[in-house]
Amino acid sequence: MNIARKFLSTIAASTVVLGAFGLMGCNEDKAAESTSVKVGLLHSLTGPMAISEKSVRDAEVLAIEQINKAGGVLGKQIVFVEEDGASEPSTFATKAEKLIDIEKVATVFGCWTSSSRKAVKPIFEEYKSLLWYPVQYEGMEMSPNIVYTGAAPNQQIVPAIEYLISKGYKKLFLLGSDYVFPRTANMIINAQAKAAGISVVGEEYADMDQTDFAAIIAKIEAAKPDVIVNTLNGTGNVSFFKQMSEKNYSSKEYMTMSFSIAEEEVATIGPAILKGHLVSWNYYQTTSTPENTAFVAAYKEKFGANRVTSDPAEAAYDAVYLWAEAVKAAKSFEVDAVLAAIKSGSISYKAPEGVVAIDGKSQHLAKPVRVGEVSEDGLIKEVYATAAPVAPDPYLTTYDWAVKAGLQPLN
Amino acid sequence: MKALRLFERHGSNITFGIIVFILAMMPVLLMMGVVSGGSTILFLGKCISFAIVAIGIDLIWGYTGILSLGHGLYFALGGYAMAMYLKMQATGGHLTDFMHIGGLTEMPLIWVPFTLSPGSLLLVIIAPAVVAWIVGYFIFKNRVKGVYFSIISQALTWAACSLFIAMSPYTNGNVGITEIKSIFGSIKGSANQGNMFLLFYVSLIALIAVYALSKFLVERKFGKVLIAIRDGENRTYFSGYPVSRYKTFIYVLSAIFAGIAGAIFVNFNGCITPSQMTITYSIGMVIWVAIGGRGTIIGAVIGAFFINICEYNLSSGSTVEIWQYIIGVLFCVTILFFKGGIVGLVRDKVPSLFKKV
Repeated sequence: MNIARKFLSTIAASTVVLGAFGLMGCNEDKAAESTSVKVGLLHSLTGPMAISEKSVRDAEVLAIEQINKAGGVLGKQIVFVEEDGASEPSTFATKAEKLIDIEKVATVFGCWTSSSRKAVKPIFEEYKSLLWYPVQYEGMEMSPNIVYTGAAPNQQIVPAIEYLISKGYKKLFLLGSDYVFPRTANMIINAQAKAAGISVVGEEYADMDQTDFAAIIAKIEAAKPDVIVNTLNGTGNVSFFKQMSEKNYSSKEYMTMSFSIAEEEVATIGPAILKGHLVSWNYYQTTSTPENTAFVAAYKEKFGANRVTSDPAEAAYDAVYLWAEAVKAAKSFEVDAVLAAIKSGSISYKAPEGVVAIDGKSQHLAKPVRVGEVSEDGLIKEVYATAAPVAPDPYLTTYDWAVKAGLQPLN
Repeated sequence: MKALRLFERHGSNITFGIIVFILAMMPVLLMMGVVSGGSTILFLGKCISFAIVAIGIDLIWGYTGILSLGHGLYFALGGYAMAMYLKMQATGGHLTDFMHIGGLTEMPLIWVPFTLSPGSLLLVIIAPAVVAWIVGYFIFKNRVKGVYFSIISQALTWAACSLFIAMSPYTNGNVGITEIKSIFGSIKGSANQGNMFLLFYVSLIALIAVYALSKFLVERKFGKVLIAIRDGENRTYFSGYPVSRYKTFIYVLSAIFAGIAGAIFVNFNGCITPSQMTITYSIGMVIWVAIGGRGTIIGAVIGAFFINICEYNLSSGSTVEIWQYIIGVLFCVTILFFKGGIVGLVRDKVPSLFKKV
């Protein structure tokens, strides 16, 4: 007992010392800096978002390793520093500051949820640093210090609704989790449906961690929509689709169009339940480009054959390559020079989803849009794709109905 | 031996003095280039706010035996009051984006005070105090105690958190209030170092004031009554003390501390979200006090700094995926072997070490 106590107090004491000294920030040897460049990865590796953000982080690590193997950027190897955002926006803010100010990284790849992005956005702006954000989101944002490599609403939501209209769907039911992405998405869809002359027969929001959907399913039954537009996120999807299937509702009775269900979620919910349902993204594991064949093979080789690639993972992979392209064009790792190269609008890259180019003005990507149908094997089959990449329009200023509905923010 | 006796008698004040001195020196060290990066100061500023809320929790839990698992509510109320004022400063008193998206065309009533005058900053104290008084008055008058109180405090926090998320046109849902500067203007980057130091020292003074007030209270008869309530509530009743009034007072005071802490936190953090009023976050605060050593005031300060500095340094690099296990083990070990926390450990071990020498 006595020895155990002594041992434990030694551990406790050494942790105190370690913790305290860590704060002073040890100065790494300067010699390494001439042959390498430091970048930051800022994702939730613990907490409820960890399960999603892990795949994005893995894709970024894969891209960094591939670039390093091919000789690095401007002759330097990329070294990454990881910070855990712990699924908590304030922690994201603290950690973003640490990466920029103490680690002095050249750029940061990170975030998933809108709340974490909104928390770090002013930090990247005030420190004049650069963040690459890899997830489709609700738009209505254009920070000069963020490059958005996921879809803006006009590259996912708007084309998906256009597709539904073209297929003759007339009664939409909007279902989403209660946070900023579903609320903004549904605001856009309402305006779009009104302009197209189709009706929205219901709009419901579920708590983020809601597991009982009986009341919402009853409302859906009463409203009799011919398609449910689903912006549920995370665990809500699992409960909702399981409870729909328990009532023997398949895609024949109630078709759904989902914006947050990718290959990973299909695997969690079960392909048998989701078979025939529609989703909208820019990329699927089945997308047939030579670049994608190589990407999927490399991803599975590194992280295991049972892992699947998804749209956010691919967008994160693109982000690293696009940053490398921008650095090459700028011939410098300095944020100002890299941003200037991005502003020129000449940065593009042959991504697994097809050629993507950064629009210099909005710092979003021009991306192809693909509507897909979940098939029995858990993969997603493309049923419709735009002929060419769609230019980003985060504020929907090129859509008359959106301008008329006053969707743009005030300032 | 003289030094030892001095330490035994005034140990906590001496330790607090050392902590304050180190904190006060940090900006100097930064100027000298010993500490890398101003963000260290910003992080320590957040730790100061955590120490303040921890002192409040120590007053009610360590001294009075009221285990609140929902102090995040008061922390966030103070934080939101501050953030709403700063947001109105940022927008110049106009509608915010989230109000516009939520379909509001006029400034909501709850926001109006913040557009009018800096006096609305008093809400940082008033809002948590009023809520805590209402909660405390009814709960303590009805002699709800122990685990029942803990459950109520949790439920209340959970309800408030859901409310803040659901009222998104008014509170911006779970994104919370973002894009705000500190009360002294921007504090980030070397150009704004003056503002940052000013904010840091003001916060440090707040910590000293909260510590001094708490020490003043617990070292008087008042403190003895609190301990009496903790150790034998019925006896204290029978001795003629208005126990529920004492409990309500100390509960409201700790809520005010939490509100002040929340307001300081927002200034350093630049945003506030409902995750600051979750149950998880609230329990985290109790853990700081438990690790530091409850019923000592200084333990709360040490615990808040220690745990947050550990988390800050462990949740990156090679330990990025396992840091929560490390903190978890640390907590379990403390609870199992060192009930007095860090302070208890020092109090038990240091005198015997001295005697050996």
